[in-house]
Amino acid sequence: MNNPLLASANAGLAGKSSPFKYTGLALVLGVLGVGVWHSAHADQPVNGGTLIYATDREPSCLDPHVDGDMPQVFIAQQFLDSLVSMDEKGHIGPWLAKSWQVSPDGKTWTFHLRNDVTFTNGEKFTSQAVKANLDHMRNPATQSSTAGGYIQQYLSTDTPDDYTAVVHLSSPYAAFLEVLAQGFLGIEAPSALKRSRDENCQSPVGSGPFKVVSWDHQNQVVLARNPNYNWAPPYAHHQGPARLEKVIWRFIPEPSVRFAALRSGKVDVIEALPPESEASARKNHDLSVVIKDRPGNPTNGELNTRRAPFNDVRVREAFVRSADIDGALASIYFNTLKRASGPLSSVTPFYSAASAHTDDYDPVRAAKLLDEAGWRQASAGAVRQRNGQSLTVHIPIRATTSNAERTLWEQVQATAGQVGFDVQLEPMGDTEASERQGNWNYDVTLDYWNTNTADVLRIVFGSAFLGAAGSGGYHQNGSGFNNPQFDHLVAAALETQDPSQRADLYAQAQKIVADNYLQLRTYPQSTRLGVYKRAHDVWLEPSLSVTTLYDAWVSP
Amino acid sequence: MSSLIESTSPGVRRARQLGQRLALRGVGGVLVLLASASVTFFALHLTPGDPVRAILGGPSANPTPETIAAAIKEFGLDKPLIEQYGIWLLRLLHGDFGRSFSQHQPVVEVIRQQLVPTLQLTAAALFAAWLLALISVLGTARRNRWLSGLGSLLETLSAALPQFWLALVLLAVFSFGLQWFPPEGNDGLLSLVLPALALAIPLAGFLAQVMREAFELALDQPFILSARARGLSEWQVRLGHGLRHAVLPGVSLSAWAVGSLVGNSVLVELIFSRQGLGRQLYQAVSLQDMPLTIGITLFITLVYILTSLLVDFLYTLVDPRLSEVHG
Repeated sequence: MNNPLLASANAGLAGKSSPFKYTGLALVLGVLGVGVWHSAHADQPVNGGTLIYATDREPSCLDPHVDGDMPQVFIAQQFLDSLVSMDEKGHIGPWLAKSWQVSPDGKTWTFHLRNDVTFTNGEKFTSQAVKANLDHMRNPATQSSTAGGYIQQYLSTDTPDDYTAVVHLSSPYAAFLEVLAQGFLGIEAPSALKRSRDENCQSPVGSGPFKVVSWDHQNQVVLARNPNYNWAPPYAHHQGPARLEKVIWRFIPEPSVRFAALRSGKVDVIEALPPESEASARKNHDLSVVIKDRPGNPTNGELNTRRAPFNDVRVREAFVRSADIDGALASIYFNTLKRASGPLSSVTPFYSAASAHTDDYDPVRAAKLLDEAGWRQASAGAVRQRNGQSLTVHIPIRATTSNAERTLWEQVQATAGQVGFDVQLEPMGDTEASERQGNWNYDVTLDYWNTNTADVLRIVFGSAFLGAAGSGGYHQNGSGFNNPQFDHLVAAALETQDPSQRADLYAQAQKIVADNYLQLRTYPQSTRLGVYKRAHDVWLEPSLSVTTLYDAWVSP
Repeated sequence: MSSLIESTSPGVRRARQLGQRLALRGVGGVLVLLASASVTFFALHLTPGDPVRAILGGPSANPTPETIAAAIKEFGLDKPLIEQYGIWLLRLLHGDFGRSFSQHQPVVEVIRQQLVPTLQLTAAALFAAWLLALISVLGTARRNRWLSGLGSLLETLSAALPQFWLALVLLAVFSFGLQWFPPEGNDGLLSLVLPALALAIPLAGFLAQVMREAFELALDQPFILSARARGLSEWQVRLGHGLRHAVLPGVSLSAWAVGSLVGNSVLVELIFSRQGLGRQLYQAVSLQDMPLTIGITLFITLVYILTSLLVDFLYTLVDPRLSEVHG
């Protein structure tokens, strides 16, 4: 899941070479999917020690099943394991489940589980735990908006024996394993889940490499090594217990303060490295940078097709092509970010590059399209009119939108204005922006969606997500797109396990989205870490580009 | 009232007077608390948006309709507003502040966790403000024209500084630049220095301005002349005879100061990433977390009420004449 509350500026691509030479210290392999970094001076890993990690937002609850926002999955990844794992190529591998089969109708999944796993409270991991966890995510009382939302097809789990779990779904769901690999669906100890939701929020229990020791609200969470850990996922760099004895997970919301704490070595790793500090971090010999794109729907503005002017595809294309995103990114982010093109970020499984340039900046074409659609411009630079109506675009801007992203939209305002759009950026509180979103009272709404499956297309553009009855206006499909052919394609992609068929169906679906100009994509979501020289082997796991400290160690 | 008091002995009279004043203050305090809580309650409900949407992850979350319905029911938001108000008032009267929607904890627990850092900050700021103000007034008032003018100027300048701006400047100079103090956190005295100064310097300006006026007025009085005539040194005159007069208006301003410090801690706690009630209040308001917002508001109101009571008491200690005059 994703939330614009999360510093939405945290996007970027590493690997752009910095003009400053920094010899022999850190090598960044952050380009598109390789989130590993090795220090050239790294000695042998050392056991023991404490790593201090500082992030921007504090989770509301440490159990990632509840709510389900990015800060929760980042910390949960350290103390929860998942049923299956996902590697850099998007392949699903074992983890707590050794193997699995799916029935021919795609509705029954049988998981064969490891028999040597214990939770940090001493409880054995069995098929009962699988049942308890899936039931927990799906239970409305859990208030799960991410994990529960991803397994809406879930019906029940049978436990024929301790190490076999048979999961029944209401409809075929080929993305099931992909979402199971996300930390949001991490497996917790059943006896801990039996406590009240709010109690479990404070101290969830998993089987991961660390366990939660204490949570000092608005300050830090302390994690301690799980000495019995011996079931790391296949992509991990070592086996056995974690190297760090202790992790202090701190919350420092102010970006410049967070960066200052890193620069002074007071913290070892910061998350959400501010884009404006990236150049300075790359220059600094004490620091290295780990940046990796997140899979899913990139940062974008969704165009509301349910009202004028964006109910006309020509006007939508004109708006998308009138916005000089490349120019804006170059001036605001100093070329550290590359424009996201296409409804899926390029690291998402089944990403198709076919429509990559259909949304390039082209003001001449934009003007032509607007003329065709009847929006006339009296003089150069004037706001276009049609039947006495101005071509006005209302964009609610949340209070939590980062300064860099605001500036980006101001550039959109300026370049679209040259073609004759009157772009109104309307700053407001988060709850008011949510209200406007719920009531379809916007022309563009800023959004993004982090997930490791192309099934995100169905959530963001599918007609089933236009707002279900009783949902009080909640809708995930922010463009209001309603296209039976598209719905059919993304539904068919869930019914087959065949990768080539899925790739073909998702390519067609991506083309439909591109042809309809439903979003103005800006930059990919990404995880951005700054690492002090004392810390080593800090890397980002593949499913959601989430920090993993299992292999990390600190110089004594 | 005065005719009744005159007919009894001074001791009984004072006790009765004190009792009446306390009772009056108590009733007033309860009314103020009730009003502040009710205003917060309705203000939050008038703000567009709903907490369920904010808490279930904003517009991009994917909650099922059943999950949304369960949350609405759990928070009691399915009832008419006036009924919600009634239920909430009844609970409050029983001392039940409810559970925070967003923090997954009882409100009292959240306040307990965040209380100490904010009180530390407030106390440190108040102490520093008094110290700076006294140094400025005692050191420069009625010295020579230069020194006196400089003191006055500095006080006016400090009083005019916005706290958030000062916080950013202090952070940039003494933390990012000189690296004398940590930029964030709440471990140890060092991390308290910059945030406390950010709050204290403007307050010290205010305090010093009112204290200077009273102090200079006192220095013109005949008793100062007689003290000087007795051969006391300048500092003996200032500390022994003038100080008490300067302190009085400062004490009365401090009640307001404590309240404003707690209020201003919102920004300072955010800028320095410090734990505390201010930062928590900011989050609670932005998520429309009604129980938590009201809980913290009530707490801050209570601090206001208690400090103004305390100040009344201190006032009578510093200037016993007042217990006769007030009433």
